[in-house]
Amino acid sequence: MSTAEDSISHGNQTAKAFTLTSALWFAFATTFGMIAAGYLVAPDFMANIEYIQFGRMRPMHVNAVLFGFVTPGLLAAAFYYLPRLMKTRLYSEKLGVFSAVFWNLTVAAGMVGVSMGYSQGREYAELPWVVDILVVISFSLVIANFLLTIRRRTEPILYVSIWYAAAAVVLTACTYCLGNVIWKPDTGALAGIPDAILLWFYGHNVFGLLLSPMALGVAYYVLPIATRSPLYSHTLSLLGFWSLIVVYTHIGTHHLLQVPVPTWLKTISIVDSVAMVIPVMVFLINIWYTVKGKLGDVHADIGAKFVFTGTIYYFFVNIQGSMMALPDVQRITHYNNWVVAHAHIGVLGFAGVTALGGLYFILPRITGKPLHSTFLADLQYWLVLIGITGFGIVLTIVGLIQGQAWYNGETLYRTLPEIQPYYITRLSLGILIMTGAYIGLYNVIRSLYFNRGATS
Amino acid sequence: MRMTPAVILFGVLALLGSIALVMVYWPYAQQDTTPSEIFRARNAEEAAGRHIYLQNGCVYCHSQAIRPFDWDLGSERIAQAGDYVADEPIQLGSQRTGVDLSQEGGEHPDDWHHAHFINPRYTRPSSVMPPFEWLGTERIRALTRYVQSLGFLQADRRMERQDYWKQESITAYEAGPDANVRWLVEHVPEGWHRVPNPYPTTAAGLQRGQRIYQYFCIGCHGPVGDGMGPAQPWIYPPPLNFTILKGRAISGGILYHQIMNGITGTAMPYFKRDLESQKIWEVGDYVAYYFINQSDANQEPKGIDAAWEP
Repeated sequence: MSTAEDSISHGNQTAKAFTLTSALWFAFATTFGMIAAGYLVAPDFMANIEYIQFGRMRPMHVNAVLFGFVTPGLLAAAFYYLPRLMKTRLYSEKLGVFSAVFWNLTVAAGMVGVSMGYSQGREYAELPWVVDILVVISFSLVIANFLLTIRRRTEPILYVSIWYAAAAVVLTACTYCLGNVIWKPDTGALAGIPDAILLWFYGHNVFGLLLSPMALGVAYYVLPIATRSPLYSHTLSLLGFWSLIVVYTHIGTHHLLQVPVPTWLKTISIVDSVAMVIPVMVFLINIWYTVKGKLGDVHADIGAKFVFTGTIYYFFVNIQGSMMALPDVQRITHYNNWVVAHAHIGVLGFAGVTALGGLYFILPRITGKPLHSTFLADLQYWLVLIGITGFGIVLTIVGLIQGQAWYNGETLYRTLPEIQPYYITRLSLGILIMTGAYIGLYNVIRSLYFNRGATS
Repeated sequence: MRMTPAVILFGVLALLGSIALVMVYWPYAQQDTTPSEIFRARNAEEAAGRHIYLQNGCVYCHSQAIRPFDWDLGSERIAQAGDYVADEPIQLGSQRTGVDLSQEGGEHPDDWHHAHFINPRYTRPSSVMPPFEWLGTERIRALTRYVQSLGFLQADRRMERQDYWKQESITAYEAGPDANVRWLVEHVPEGWHRVPNPYPTTAAGLQRGQRIYQYFCIGCHGPVGDGMGPAQPWIYPPPLNFTILKGRAISGGILYHQIMNGITGTAMPYFKRDLESQKIWEVGDYVAYYFINQSDANQEPKGIDAAWEP
């Protein structure tokens, strides 16, 4: 290990803490998801247990994935790459570790709150007001560390990953306050249709202004290093960054095309949903041209392999998302499992897989030792990949069955028996993903704390 | 373009601020808060029920917005912005794992809901909804009051109808089986009395009828049609025992009409949304053939024989 690296790494405590956080909550979150999927197959199994019934397990699953697994995973990589890209130390490892501990307490408090029935009843903004405040504090601690690190940088030029990481945490702190109507502690909501407009503005920003930019930051960092290639285009980086911020923030209302919201708002959201191909394709062209002809290098590094797979899912989720925003398509796809497939392809297939890639890329570098087991990481890769791909296909089929049947006048109760076998298939594929999560947790713990491997 | 920290931070914040102003604040400031023609305020018990609805994530499976092209429950009225003026938070929902509830109020009497919350499969055998027995009677009652208010003034009119026919049906039930069956038959329009089941009884038809019975009827009427399904302890008047109907001139037409239209006031829902014509005739014949042990299928008057008949 070089002395320059020594002067930067300083133990990498923060990156380690967020790595462990992510691996831990991935296991919890997929367990919650499994229980929820199990209820859809056998609703009377483990029934009448207030704290884990479906209506509470689902928001626990979603929030644990968003704020427990994916975000901390991407933050772990950011805490690693920010100091290195700016040739300085992290402003404060102590603050960083504190923020990771605080982050875990916040997510745990959210889980307990929702489980106990303190949900505010707004999809993706369920967490009770007290936890909302804790979330904002968590983000503020991270923001402080990021910005103060940027301030003490010795490298004058800010690489594109830094733009994304800094913008993501700052923007999310803002939209989180706005979306959770943090100034109204009792309901955490507006009244009537404006509440739905605000909710989906925020809900989509969780993906568009937090998970996506953080994941793109990781991809922009990992893939050029793994392939030892310079980034293809600075201009495309700029275009991708600014267009992402502009376009993503306009599209939340595409969740509300079939309900009475102003038509001009729907029109903007549809146009911008289609325009999402600009930031997405600009990024993909940039990153795919960067690694062009070097897929062998990508394949050789398990972290880069995850991240590159994430970019392919980013392509699919975007094409699908643009298509789904078209009103004629949405007549079939809305209100059913098609959307569930889409959400999983985006959050797990793209952002989650990228976060896992970030973890495996930095783990050998922050511990100074090879991974405890590359085989287990590879096994996890295939379990997650087969799981999420099958999941996406099965739920898309279910969505089409439901959507077409309803559109042709069959009632919901007629479609329920038809989709039961698919729910069972989905549960089975979920077992693969959850198994992958636990294998990953084991591998991360072994790599961090019980790694007898030789130092690299 | 030189990306400095100031450019990034002020740039993205300025963009977010201005876009939020247009996409969120502008529709908020321009909103029409005029209530729709069906709107009314909720009373305290309905509000308490709504709180239970929020706490337990009902919104993840139940939407509350009827679209212009919907067919299912509540699709007599397309949602309007003025329906939601008092909803904080709004519960439009993004999934229909269960039915849309915008117009659920008064679709069923209270006892149907009680049985349904104890275990949804008691009244809807194919449901995947979680049981809510753990809520206890108090909270189930509050939740029922909220659900029965969905649809506001339209729900109130339906509830009045439910309450009126609830009394009528109880009086008829308590007058004994003869009087009860007479009352039930009397309320079926005369023409249906003379219509036999137009399809012949076939093994295939009975199989299909059984499948429909198991998806829609078995929870109340039970596997042998004696009205002792698992919902029975919660509903009053109790589900009809089909085995007492023999020799009482129950035509296929009467069965068809009752299955299609339901019996308001009792837990017997209408199935005209769920089932098309042939399915209703075939589940009716399944009931007649096996449980009443007396089917008029394929008897006169039946008009010209259908082309497909064997």
